[in-house]
Parts: sequence; C-alpha cells; structure tokens
Amino acid sequence: MLTNNNSNKMFFLFILFFSTLISISSNSWFGCWIGLEINLLSFIPLISNSKNLLSVETSLKYFLTQSLASINFLFMILIKFSLLKNFDMNNIISIMMNSSLLMKMGSAPFHFWFPNIVEGLSWMNNFMLMTWQKISPMILLSYYFNKNFLIFMIIMNLIIGSLGGLNQTSLRKLLAFSSINNLGWMIFSIMISENLWLFYFLIYSMMIFMMISLFFLMNMYFMNQLFINNMNFFIKLNLLINFLSLGGLPPFMGFMPKWIIINFLLINKFYFLTFIFMMTSLIIIYYYIRIIYSSFMFNYFKMKWVNLLMKNNMSLINLSSFISISSMILSTFIFM
Amino acid sequence: MCFNSFFFLFFFMLINFFFFVYFIMNGLSVFFEWEIISFNSMSIVMSILLDWMSLLFMMFVSLISSVVIFYSKSYMNSELNLNRFIILVLMFVFSMVLLIISPNLISILLGWDGLGLISYCLVIYYQNLKSYNAGMLTALSNRIGDVMILMVICWVMNYGSWNYIFYFDFMKNDYVMFIISFMIIIAAMTKSAQIPFSSWLPAAMAAPTPVSALVHSSTLVTAGVYLLIRFNYLLIDMFFFKVLLFLSILTMFMSGISANYEFDLKKIIALSTLSQLGLMMSILSLGFPDIAFFHLLTHAMFKALLFMCAGVIIHMMNDIQDIRYMGGLSLYIPLTSLCLNISNLSLCGIPFLSGFYSKDLILEMVSFNSFNLMVFILFYLSTGLTVFYTFRLIMYVMINDFNLMMIYNLYDEDYIMLNSMFVLLFMSLLSGSFLSWFIFSYPYMIYLPFNLKLMVIYVSILGSILGFMVSNMGIYSLNKLLLSYNLSSFLCLMWFMPNLSTYGLSYIYLNFSQILFKNIDMGWSEIYSGKGIFNILKNYSVFYNIYQMNNFKIYLFSFILWFMILFIFFFI
Repeated sequence: MLTNNNSNKMFFLFILFFSTLISISSNSWFGCWIGLEINLLSFIPLISNSKNLLSVETSLKYFLTQSLASINFLFMILIKFSLLKNFDMNNIISIMMNSSLLMKMGSAPFHFWFPNIVEGLSWMNNFMLMTWQKISPMILLSYYFNKNFLIFMIIMNLIIGSLGGLNQTSLRKLLAFSSINNLGWMIFSIMISENLWLFYFLIYSMMIFMMISLFFLMNMYFMNQLFINNMNFFIKLNLLINFLSLGGLPPFMGFMPKWIIINFLLINKFYFLTFIFMMTSLIIIYYYIRIIYSSFMFNYFKMKWVNLLMKNNMSLINLSSFISISSMILSTFIFM
Repeated sequence: MCFNSFFFLFFFMLINFFFFVYFIMNGLSVFFEWEIISFNSMSIVMSILLDWMSLLFMMFVSLISSVVIFYSKSYMNSELNLNRFIILVLMFVFSMVLLIISPNLISILLGWDGLGLISYCLVIYYQNLKSYNAGMLTALSNRIGDVMILMVICWVMNYGSWNYIFYFDFMKNDYVMFIISFMIIIAAMTKSAQIPFSSWLPAAMAAPTPVSALVHSSTLVTAGVYLLIRFNYLLIDMFFFKVLLFLSILTMFMSGISANYEFDLKKIIALSTLSQLGLMMSILSLGFPDIAFFHLLTHAMFKALLFMCAGVIIHMMNDIQDIRYMGGLSLYIPLTSLCLNISNLSLCGIPFLSGFYSKDLILEMVSFNSFNLMVFILFYLSTGLTVFYTFRLIMYVMINDFNLMMIYNLYDEDYIMLNSMFVLLFMSLLSGSFLSWFIFSYPYMIYLPFNLKLMVIYVSILGSILGFMVSNMGIYSLNKLLLSYNLSSFLCLMWFMPNLSTYGLSYIYLNFSQILFKNIDMGWSEIYSGKGIFNILKNYSVFYNIYQMNNFKIYLFSFILWFMILFIFFFI
C-alpha cells in the first residue's frame, strides 16, 4: 500500500494510526471522541482522489456518515456527563452511544453506507477501511455496552451479512458483506473479553490481508474476472485456501477464532445464538464456494486467451497458503 | 496323488482306531498344551485334547475321507485338475481334524472357518452359475456361524483363557455364559442347517458327488452337532436349548415332508441328511449327548455310502439326477443296488443294521422319558416320513420301469468305486453294534408298554405302504400335485424359508430402497433442503437488495429517526 508516489499519503497514514491509539488509550470519553474525529479527518485524504469522480463521491459519503455518527457520539457523551446522577437512564444512554459507535463501524442496522463506499475504493483503501477503522469503535464499544441491544445487533449483523452477499457479483461488495458478518462475531467476542476480540481481530485482518493482496496483485474487482482468466495453479490454490479459511472451514486458519467463540457461546449458554452463528456461516461459505468451486474440480473450463501468470510481486503467495493451512496445527506447538 | 492320500488317510484311521480302543478301555484322556504367549491376563495356548470321543470321530472322518478320495479317482477321472480337488479335500480333512481335537476356542475357530471356506471352494468346483449361487449361499450362511464364534471368543476373554472346558462347572449361572451359550447354539445351527439357516444344504448339492459324500453327509454338517456335544455341560439347562429343541424337531419334520416332493436324487438325499441332523440336534437338546454322538457316527457311515451310490447312478444315467428317468436298476446293477438298499434300509432303522441301533435307541428314550406331546408326535411322524421317502426313492429308482432312452449302458464293474463302497458297506452293517458295545459301557434301562414299543414298527410300516402307493405311476396317472397346488408348493419349497436367505436379503431391500430414493432423495428432500432452501435464500437476498439500493439521504435520515425515537423514550 506504500507503492503510491504521494508522500502526503504516508503522512496521513501515520496520523491515522496515531489517532486510533489516541482513541483507545484516553482516560476520558472526550479523548475518545477526539481520536475518532482525527481518524475521520485523516482517512478522507487517503481515499479521495480528485481526478476520479467516483472516488470524490465516495469520500463525500464517508465523511457525511462518519461525521453524523461522531456528532451523535459527542452529544451522548455530554448527556451522559450531565445526567450522570440519574442512574435509571443508563440503559437508554448506552443504547444511544452504542448506536453511534455501530454506525461508525458499519454494523447493521446502520450499515447501508458500507457496501456503497467499499464499491468506490481501491483494494488497499478497502483493507484499511475493513480492518483498521474498526479498531477504535470496537474498543470504545467494549467500555460501555448494553448486552441485550448488542445481542440483537449481532443477530442482525449475521443475517444481513449472509443474505446480502448472496446476490453480489462485485468482489468488493462480497468482502463488504463478509466483513459485516464477521463484525457480528467480533461484537460477541467484545462482550466476552477484549483479549478474545484481539485474537479474532488479528486473525481476521490477516486473512483479509491475504485475500485483498491477492486481488490487488491480480487487479480483480468483479467475479467474472475470476472465471475469464487462465490462472496459474498456485494462484488458484491460494484463492481457494484463503476463501475457505475466511469462511471458517476446519483445517484452515480461519476456523480457530470461530471455534473459540463458539466455545464461549456454549459455555455461556447462548444456544439459539449459536444456531444463528452456524447457519449464517453456512450461507457465507456457500457463496465463497460458488466462486472457487471450479478450482477444485478435476475437469474445469479453461479460457486460454487471457493468461494470468505468476509475476514477480506474487512470490509470497506460497507463504500465505502455507500459513493459512498450517497455522492451526502449528499454533498448538507454540502455545501449548 | 489319489493313492498316496488314500493310503495316508487309511493308515491314519488305523492309528486312530488303535488309540481309540486303548483310550476307551482304560478311560484315558490326554491333554497337550503349548503356551504361545501370556499377555497381562490372557494366555494364548495351543491345546490338543485326545479323549475317546475325539479319537473315534477322527477315525470315522479319516475312514470316510480316505474312501471318498479313492472313489473320486474314478468318479472325477475326466477332470483336468484332479490334484487341485484332492488338495482341497485334504485341506478340508485337516480343518475338520483341527476342529475335532481342539478344546480351545481359537483352534475351533480356525477349524470352523477353514471348513466354511473350503466347503465354499468345493461347492463352486464346477464353475457354472448354479454352483456359484449355491456356493454363495453356503458360504454366507456359514459365515453367520463364524461371526458368532468370533463373538464368543470376545466374550470368553472375560474368563482369562480360551479353553472353555475348564469353565463349565464354575461359571454356569453367569450372565456371560448365558450369552456365550446363545451364540454357540446359533453357530451350531448355521453349520448344521437348522431351521432359519436350512436353505444352504439342498442348494449345496451343486457340488461334485464325492464332496457331497464327505462334506455334506458326515463332516461339515456334523461339526455343529459336535460343538454342541462338547459344550453340553454348559448348555444343559439353559433356555436356548429348549428353543433349539423346538427348531430342530421342526427341521426334522419339514425336511421329511419336503423330501417327499423332490424329484432330484441328490436333493432327496440332502433333505434326508437334514432330517437326520434335526434328529441329532433334538436328541442332543433333550439331554442325551452320547446318543446324539452315536447317531452322528452311524449316520455318517450310511449317508456317505448313499451318496456314493447316487454318484455311480448319476454317472450311469449320463449325468441325469432326476429320479423320474431312472427305474429298474436293481436288475442291471446288482452290486450298486445292494449298497443303495442296505444304506436306505439302515436309514429307515430296519432291525440290526447300523441305523437301527442309534435310531431305535433315540425313539425309545423319547418314549421312555416324559416329554411333550408335540415332541413325541413329531419324532414318530418324522420317522414315518423317513421311511416314506426312502421307499418312494427305492420304488422310483429300483423297482419301477426304466425311463431313460432305449439305448443304455449301465456299467457296474467300476471296481474302484465299488471297492470304496464295499468298505463303507462293511462299516454300515457292523458299525451300529460295534459302536454300541464300545460307547455304552452299560445299556440304557428302557421299560415300555407293548404298543409303545411297537410304535416304531407301526409308523415304519405305514410309511412304507404310503411310499409304495405314492410311486405307482402309469401312463394315465394324474399328477396329484396340481390339485393341491398351494399346499404342495408350500411343503415342497421347504416352507418358503429359502426365500428368507435369498430374496429376503437382496430383492426386498433393493426394492424398498428404490422407493425411498425416488420419494425422499429425489423428492421431498429437494424441497425441504437443497433446492428449496436455495430458492428461499435467493428471494430473501433479492428482497434485501431492494432495501440496499437506496438514496443516501434515506440512510442518514433513518439514523436520525432512530435517535429521535430513543430521545422520546428518554424523555418519557
């Protein structure tokens, strides 16, 4: 992502990282809000490119939604401070604060901006949006959440993430809906412990990074681009493994965080919620496998006039496949 | 090859005879044991038990097998691979000997499985479709018994070793012994073709005649009876023994009736073997193991002889086994018909032939002890049926007119076959009295009223008269079977029980599974999973997409609306 020539972007990237750190390590709610604002302000120059009309529109939409959410957040903080002596208002205020934070993250039911904006960004900006931008709202959510409200939001996240993605052909929107689904898992992990959320988040961002870097190197934005090419075998294998890992299929890396979260679900007796987690996971795996199933058949349809060869910058593909396959087993050697 | 194995087995028989006389006169029994490995609490030993019962049985087995091998030198002389046949027969004899001398369940399993496998190889020896089907039926029915013995091996590991003879006195009322007895009885029932498993014995007549003489008359089918005789102390007041009684007398009765409807020579003899096996099993389950053993041995003699005579006749009739083509043979082949008649009459229990000693003793023991009315009736009825089909067979084969072609070659002077039959003829005449003097050191005390004593004779005479009358055929005779077609087909086809082992295992399940496949796999489960769920999800997704594609202001405004609703709740 540092391959663009503009050094301003490097500057704004630094401020982006720093703003998240401000937000999560502040003593007061006000400091959190400051961090969120700086985050918004530094992300806008990263995604706007004044030569591209779609990019300008996307950055405008992003600015509008995020600033609305930040204003609400500030307002709720102030109401909370001024009416703190009234303890029976705690529920409503926590719901309102959580709503504004959920809108910042792009979680259902406030997620409608998310696929739109993802459609207008390039792959590396998408990566920042899907991973880094979620850190500070999540952690702020963990400071003051309302359990019942959040469980309802989790269910909505899961269902919308799975159902919305069934009808998509754009790869960016597909990953957007998958990101909404994974937000459901992450919000639940926040409710259990922050450590667990960190674990899930790290593995999720690693998987997303591998996927997005593969799409970025192949310059693919839509599903038909996957089927027209004559891909090199290793690229196809890597795509297969990463998609299955993202879906949470067992020998791959992506199964581990989901497994641990299901463990906590069952310990805390959230049985119906477990059922919803599982079933929506199945729908997500369905539309991943729909993309890649031709790559694990013996006889497949090969177009021979567009060749996608392994270029020099794709040398880490084998390493990423290896990590995806063997992480779960190797982790038992390291952490036991 | 034939002569070598014949001499070896004959010599082996003489050794066994000598040792048998020595052991039974001195009341000896020798137990060899070689401990192969002793592991935690289990000890794996190879043991050999030589007492008078095993030596006597080995003597009879080796005598019959030596005579059969000698006979097959002439019977199978046009066979290219005669060596293969002789080797199979020798392996069979070896498995049988292993079964006889073993007091150890593992070596019994080795012998048992060897018997089943080699009888399969022998039944499919003529490689045509009928032999293939018969062999499959034989092998799979015997396989059930093998599985039962395997499970007994597992259960007996409870007790620490596989030498079962040591545990009978101590563990009689144990639950484990209850299960073991059940499984042993099922294993014996499959090998000796009692009622649920009786379909393989008539089908196994697709084997060559020497095989039938050795295997299906005296050795394979009596292995089950021998096993139960060995386990007799365990089984004697168990519940399943009474079930065995019930099933074995029904076997005896059913096969007696079915033999009357048969027109295939070897099938009649097979059904007669089945009837006598039922007799052996039933007298064993009534609590008289030594009488069962006695009948086992005398039956082996005359049944093997009967099969060998049938083999000679089949050769003469140009490989036709249907008795309707035969007739008047007593005029043309006097020596063979001598052997045939003596073995048949011995089967009926005509006084002072060998079968009389065992059969009459059985019937008198049944009358003397107070048993069930059904047991009594079925025993005597089956005896009458035995005489009935025997006399019918004699009438068809020996006495009625010759029914084959005008040109015939009835060749009796095949001295190889005849000499082998004479050996068995000698034993068939004398073995009854000889065995009764050896085995029973004192005779059984039987005191019966006059008519009950003569009941055997009444039933036999009735059977013989009926046999004579049924086989009177002329040009204008009506086939009475057609008048009572339903009843006759029920009785003729062994009460439809072979369908259990053939159609019932393949056709019924395949039919049912086709219905299930069409209705469920390709029917309802497509709507309730598979395609149906896909349609539902696709419709939901399309519906959601309509929501997703909206004006941007609407999103922002909906967020504000949510907050206004929350504020309203806040201020209330």
